[in-house]
Amino acid sequence: MVYVKWGFWAIFWTVLVAFLHYTLPQHDIVRVTDTYEQRIEPGDNALFWSNADTGNSTQATGRDVFFIQSFRSNEQPMVYRNEDTGWGWPPYFKFDASNLRAQASDAKTNATGETAQWVDLLHYGWRNEFLSIYPNAVSITPVEGPDVRIIPWFNIVVLVLLGALFWAIRARWKRFWRTREDWAKDEWNDGTL
Amino acid sequence: MLALFRLLIFGLILLTAVYFGLSWYFRSERRRRMEHDWEEAGRPGSREAYVEAGMEQYQQSLRRRLIWLVYVVPVTAVIVIIYVTNYT
Repeated sequence: MVYVKWGFWAIFWTVLVAFLHYTLPQHDIVRVTDTYEQRIEPGDNALFWSNADTGNSTQATGRDVFFIQSFRSNEQPMVYRNEDTGWGWPPYFKFDASNLRAQASDAKTNATGETAQWVDLLHYGWRNEFLSIYPNAVSITPVEGPDVRIIPWFNIVVLVLLGALFWAIRARWKRFWRTREDWAKDEWNDGTL
Repeated sequence: MLALFRLLIFGLILLTAVYFGLSWYFRSERRRRMEHDWEEAGRPGSREAYVEAGMEQYQQSLRRRLIWLVYVVPVTAVIVIIYVTNYT
């Protein structure tokens, strides 16, 4: 029975951490080399593509999706999709995919070294070649160089608030059951009923 | 536009549930504290009257009105996120 309990909590925490890792924003320092669009027909990986209702039809199964291809500061390639999230999940409320593509095109640079334009590319999601999934780019900000260090204040605040909420609920939950146990205990029994 | 209405309706339902949940919780906490206070104070007069007077005060209190933040904070957050994502 103890293995079932451990297994349950292991799965619970894995799912929670994976969910937060997927959903919370992350900063990548990259140089954009190109933008392109490609016809996408989401299949088993549809969960990892957004199909936001931002005025266009959501009935069509296949559609053109913007992409931003780039190299990270460790010179590894990274490709981002650039899709509206609209009013749906995750709550980035992104409606400006076309504008972001214009900015990404503007930041295009093929040169390494001194002249390269490095940008801080804010995104959420995962890149996985086996599932053909891409992180979704949210915004682009020019930065000084590849060695810029960005402190994720937003994530720190969100995680601390989440932790506080969990703790508050947990403390009340524990207190609730402790009080119940006290009620069950009197001079006639030991509380085991 | 359907997605916007879906967000508004489900958001409203969720926040209303949280609002009533918190409102109920704070009121019951308050009531329990008043009952405790009444015993601490040496049981002055009727217990009912003492607790009701305290609850009356609670109804007027800032603490109870702060529960409206359940609606204010998420709506403000959404507006700020929309602005930051799309206009900066």
